[in-house]
Amino acid sequence: MTTVQWWCSARGIPWRWSWQAYPGVWLAVLALGATYARWSRPVANAASHAFTTSAARRAGGWIGVVLVWMALDWPGGPLGTGYLASVHAAQFLALAMVAPPLLLRGIDGDRIRALLDRNGVVAKIIVAVTTPLVAMLAFTIVMLSTHAPGVVDTLMRTQLGAFALDFAWFLSGLAFWWPVVIDVPLRERFGPPMRMLYLFAGTQAHLYLSMWLLLAEFPAYGIYELAPRVTGLSALEDQQVAGGLLLTLGGTYVLAVISVLFFRWFEEPQPEA
Amino acid sequence: MTHSPRLSLGLAPSLIAALFALAGCGISAESGGRAYRGAMIAHAMPRPSFTLTDTHGRPFDFRAQTDDTVTLLFFGYLNCPDVCPVHLTNIATVMRGLPYDVTSKVRVVFVTTDPARDTPEKLQAWLANFDPSFIGLRGTPEQVTAIEKSVDVAPAVAAAPDSAGRYEVGHAAQVLAFTRDDSAHVVYPFGTRQADWAHDLPLLVKVK
Repeated sequence: MTTVQWWCSARGIPWRWSWQAYPGVWLAVLALGATYARWSRPVANAASHAFTTSAARRAGGWIGVVLVWMALDWPGGPLGTGYLASVHAAQFLALAMVAPPLLLRGIDGDRIRALLDRNGVVAKIIVAVTTPLVAMLAFTIVMLSTHAPGVVDTLMRTQLGAFALDFAWFLSGLAFWWPVVIDVPLRERFGPPMRMLYLFAGTQAHLYLSMWLLLAEFPAYGIYELAPRVTGLSALEDQQVAGGLLLTLGGTYVLAVISVLFFRWFEEPQPEA
Repeated sequence: MTHSPRLSLGLAPSLIAALFALAGCGISAESGGRAYRGAMIAHAMPRPSFTLTDTHGRPFDFRAQTDDTVTLLFFGYLNCPDVCPVHLTNIATVMRGLPYDVTSKVRVVFVTTDPARDTPEKLQAWLANFDPSFIGLRGTPEQVTAIEKSVDVAPAVAAAPDSAGRYEVGHAAQVLAFTRDDSAHVVYPFGTRQADWAHDLPLLVKVK
């Protein structure tokens, strides 16, 4: 009898290109989509609509939802969880680096302002965890700890562990990107130069991690080293691809975002003396 | 067993080092002052005497032709989807990185538990994919079972074929390491990592 796999986990069985259902992933993506649909809809009776997001940004958020789905569901989900470190790295980039800012950009600013103005428990948590220093530290700690071999090899073997790891990436990604993308709560001292510095500093751990993966003498993760091979790459070569992806794609992506922030700042009308 | 790979770059900050060191607490075993990462055998097992046929069709006297070497003896089959290729890949990968004075004293002997499908040609080509120096041996199922029993390894069992005639063979997953003192003190179960082999092979070669 086959038991239902709610979430992808490392199973150690030979990979087969036969589709498999992951109902837990579908539920999570449906919940994300429903939440996003609600929060991206403009407020009907907003006083000014000054913070209403554009249609393009809302559409970008839906791309974020699709990215999350693709990162977690078959085949990317099980491949990254139990077979290929390179796919695991791509999942990380999707869940923690690309999808969160896309989703946050699509959220209606008036809704967030209204939520934060109510100053409830949720608002207090959001304000606390999106404080730049807190968000940066949390993101770095999550990133490093969830890539430690002992943690990966332990968590990825169970559905709950793999879910926790994916969830930690996504949540820490949301917190990390919030101060860059969303202007509420207003942090006057956290202007474009600080945001650029924040992005640079907050992604330095990626550099070390990618170099470590690229230069390690042996495969770092037991689940990938001991998994039946899927491609012609050895476990070490696959790990080097993972490091290369983090370094090149991740690095280029962060540099591109910093460049956009810089040029926007550069083109902003300067206050008259 | 989990082990962190050795860093080739000394740039990683102490936080990373501390986190990743958490993974380096592997199981080790002591023998004669040496700490192995493989699993120690309670009573050393003598190098067995048997003769099978190699992939060139010649008789292979295991005891005589592996004398004075570290011999990694493994039972498996060519169509094995997981254990065999992973073990052989890891050993071959590590051997490529070890100095000649170590690798020249190591022999890897693979005894097929599926002689019906593992023809000499197929076995030779398959092993050469990992390392051309790996030795493939064939015998009758009865011969192989007798050898497995003589080295305290569970005999292989072939499953019933499916409708397409495919079948799997259940076999022991450990690699036995016979050292130059003609005994096996350590075995390497499935889960042995490349870092473990790289650690242990130079130590095994020193046993005399």
